[in-house]
Amino acid sequence: MSGQLGKKLILHLKVGGVDIAFDLAVMAVAVGVTLLLLLLSWWLRRGLPHDPEAPPTRRAAFLAAAMELAETQLLGGLPGRLARDLLPFITTLFLYVLLCNWASILPIPYIASPTQDVNVTFSLAIMVYTMVHVYGARERGLKKHLRSYLEPYPFLLPMNLIGDFGRTLSHAFRLFGNILGGAILTAIVLELAGKAMRYLFLAPFALVGGVAVGTFLNLWFGLFVGAIQALVFALLASAYIQIAVE
Amino acid sequence: MTGADIVAAAKYLAAGIAMGLGAIGPAIGEGIAAAHALDGMARQPEMEASLLRTMIIGQAITESTGVYSLVVAIILIFVA
Repeated sequence: MSGQLGKKLILHLKVGGVDIAFDLAVMAVAVGVTLLLLLLSWWLRRGLPHDPEAPPTRRAAFLAAAMELAETQLLGGLPGRLARDLLPFITTLFLYVLLCNWASILPIPYIASPTQDVNVTFSLAIMVYTMVHVYGARERGLKKHLRSYLEPYPFLLPMNLIGDFGRTLSHAFRLFGNILGGAILTAIVLELAGKAMRYLFLAPFALVGGVAVGTFLNLWFGLFVGAIQALVFALLASAYIQIAVE
Repeated sequence: MTGADIVAAAKYLAAGIAMGLGAIGPAIGEGIAAAHALDGMARQPEMEASLLRTMIIGQAITESTGVYSLVVAIILIFVA
């Protein structure tokens, strides 16, 4: 299992003398998650009645409850109009990161969470960074938004710039480190458990023990930590935007 | 021992030190967060759900300093 850790399916392309590497497994899972989300949204959207006055169908009621939950839990701090505006972005971010984290529990060789690739988490964090500045400039005006870097004192400008940069860096690294650390720990503990059983002459129980340990590790690091980190990522994104528009 | 061996040994040693020392801070911090959340839950059991949620989110953010040292350790072992 731990032998698989560094193994990757990488496609090297030379474009104009520059070597570009594509991690095929990460791209496949990322595209798969996107297609799954598109399919889900299409299926839910199709269940909505055309007439808004009609009694809600089951799908419409579920959708309304889910959006209500997302609006209060993920976007609770934002003013109402902005919360409605940002609901699709933040909810998509949450669902995308959630499904990417959960992809790691699939027992398929080479398949791993796209979020354990630093490129994926950095693209997501840069996306959030862009949204922060777009909404900050839109809500407060470009001048006031830029002047917020000079507050409380103009000589603190370098501090504010470093803070801005470090915030995005930590946003990306938090998700990346948690998911990659979980994946490494899962692989190493599984292998150690197998070795320990062999040394303790419990080899006949190795399969049962391995399945039990693997299930527990995947439940904890795959499902639980994955859900928490997805929630934290989306919550921080909405908190950063909230700070910028205030 | 050649120079390359010393460098390799230093890498593993550094990764171990980075992870071992880096795990202390978040562990203490998360313990404090959990202790105070338990305190609050004992005082106001009806707030349990909201306290638990806030505690877990706070701990996930507290964890980031530990995650930085993990990233440094991973870079030392697999990349550098």
